[in-house]
Amino acid sequence: MITKRNIIIMLLFLLAIGSFYISSGDAQDPPAAPTQSTPATPAAPAAPSVSSAPSGPGAPTAPVEASGPSVTTPAAAPSVQPAPVAPAVPATPPPPPTVTLSVEKTSVNNGGQISVKGRGIPGKPVYIEVWSENKVKSSFFDSKPGKDGKSPYKLYLTYAMPASYKIYLPESQKSVVDSFKKKGKKWNFAEALKALDAEVAYSTPANIQIDVYQSTLMASVIGSRGAKLPALDAKENRKHSMQLVKSRFEKAGRLFVPSLDVKPDGSFSGVISIPEGGSPGKYEVVAVSGASVRSQPATVENHINFPMIYLSNAGTSLNALWPFVLTLAISIFGVLMGAGGGFILNPLLVSIWPLPHTIVAGTVMPTVLFSQASGIYNYSKIKFISWKLGITMGLAMLAGGFIGPKLTEMITLSQFKFVFGWILLVLAGLMFWQTTPGYVSKNKKEQAIMAEFKKRAEAAAKAK
Amino acid sequence: MVVEFWGQEFKVNIVFGCIGAFLLAIVSSMFGFGGGPFMVPLMSVGLGLPMYLVVGSSLTAIFFNTLMGTMRHYQFGNFDLTFFLIMFPAAILGGYIAPKIAKKVSPLMVKRIASVGMIILALNLLGLY
Repeated sequence: MITKRNIIIMLLFLLAIGSFYISSGDAQDPPAAPTQSTPATPAAPAAPSVSSAPSGPGAPTAPVEASGPSVTTPAAAPSVQPAPVAPAVPATPPPPPTVTLSVEKTSVNNGGQISVKGRGIPGKPVYIEVWSENKVKSSFFDSKPGKDGKSPYKLYLTYAMPASYKIYLPESQKSVVDSFKKKGKKWNFAEALKALDAEVAYSTPANIQIDVYQSTLMASVIGSRGAKLPALDAKENRKHSMQLVKSRFEKAGRLFVPSLDVKPDGSFSGVISIPEGGSPGKYEVVAVSGASVRSQPATVENHINFPMIYLSNAGTSLNALWPFVLTLAISIFGVLMGAGGGFILNPLLVSIWPLPHTIVAGTVMPTVLFSQASGIYNYSKIKFISWKLGITMGLAMLAGGFIGPKLTEMITLSQFKFVFGWILLVLAGLMFWQTTPGYVSKNKKEQAIMAEFKKRAEAAAKAK
Repeated sequence: MVVEFWGQEFKVNIVFGCIGAFLLAIVSSMFGFGGGPFMVPLMSVGLGLPMYLVVGSSLTAIFFNTLMGTMRHYQFGNFDLTFFLIMFPAAILGGYIAPKIAKKVSPLMVKRIASVGMIILALNLLGLY
């Protein structure tokens, strides 16, 4: 016979284990304060340091562009450019082939268009790589069978993915970009880079620090990411960073923009755009031409003002008003139909805003915690809860809740939407079934009995 | 397992219930929803318990899932504080407003509208339109 006290002791014990596990688990940076969203000094020349070396602790600090026949080596540390991007960056090193780049303005407000021009290597295409300094998490679960027919089941994870990233290409590549856009979600970033001949342009995310975990069924059951594998070498890092880029940005159209007008003499001009809702803060702009000859980086600062708010873990800024209104509407509707709003809220959030599904799942869940707790409190006041039943099933759910969140990062956004689609169909069926006459008449009786019991319970609570 | 509730005894197939609750918890914490609309049918239809026993007990069970899911999501870096601070007041406010409207609307109608809305949303998510 399980007594109530035993159950509570067991529960506390489990929670203690859980909290121990959490504290000994991966060190997790606390969500950064939203202070980044208000850059105090526009175009501050003070700290241009981190810009082009987006390396984590382990990654090589030398910029990749130093490899190859880059003649820009005298200026090989482009990160320490002191001036806040003078328009028309002077080409410091003496000999050709150098690539220059100038931006029309160095700051925009909540996104905007910036004209760029410069000079590449005559006869060669020019690419412009743009990335934000703000970083976000990105993960990719590799379960595709390799050449030997075995599935690797490896989880690639980074916390250093640029929140925004784009490669601008010569206009002549438009048809190729379109063909990748047409593939929808089934495209391959590495293939696209190759087909667009843009591999030279891809450099910043190639150096991000990637953690690799070997997932196993057992590890999943105990809710762990699995054993951490040794760090990747530069080539593998580059390869897998591409999968992470795709997992973060999803669509080819978000990554490739064929908008540069490149003349045969190497001069180019075009417009780069920082989207509304992009990450605030600094963006680095670098032109690349020939065999990875890179220009000095130009810095553009994106400012956002309230009610636009930057979600630092999601890497998206949005007008705070709309999620508030949406959550309000859905939660009212949720209470009216007798179901939590999470079902409808989550898919809407990932459909309307470019939010990662992991962030949506992980942030919507705690919002109902307090309303559930207050509901339990209200029921418990009138002793309307069977603790024995609730806690026994609760323990089973505790185990399930331990495993589920780990699985979220193993699926892609499109898989998330797909499964959610089916869940919603099932739920819609359940909802509809609850409006059928048979159910309604049965429910009416149940409701009457329930009201009667509740009345008695309330009376008993009062009498005490 | 035998559950006693307000003077009545109910026989519960707890193994079935726990397996169902476990699987439900995995899915709901993975996708970040509460799980109430599935938990209530599981207990009332699956376990054959009356509504007055199910309402409080299912809420208790779900609370465990939400609590653990929240901690685990936080641990894996899936929690965005700013976003939470936008949505949380809205959810609380919704909880206050809803009961005041509830008497004026027919729950049947709400459920029918909800199921149609959910089918549209589901088809959109499945990429069918």
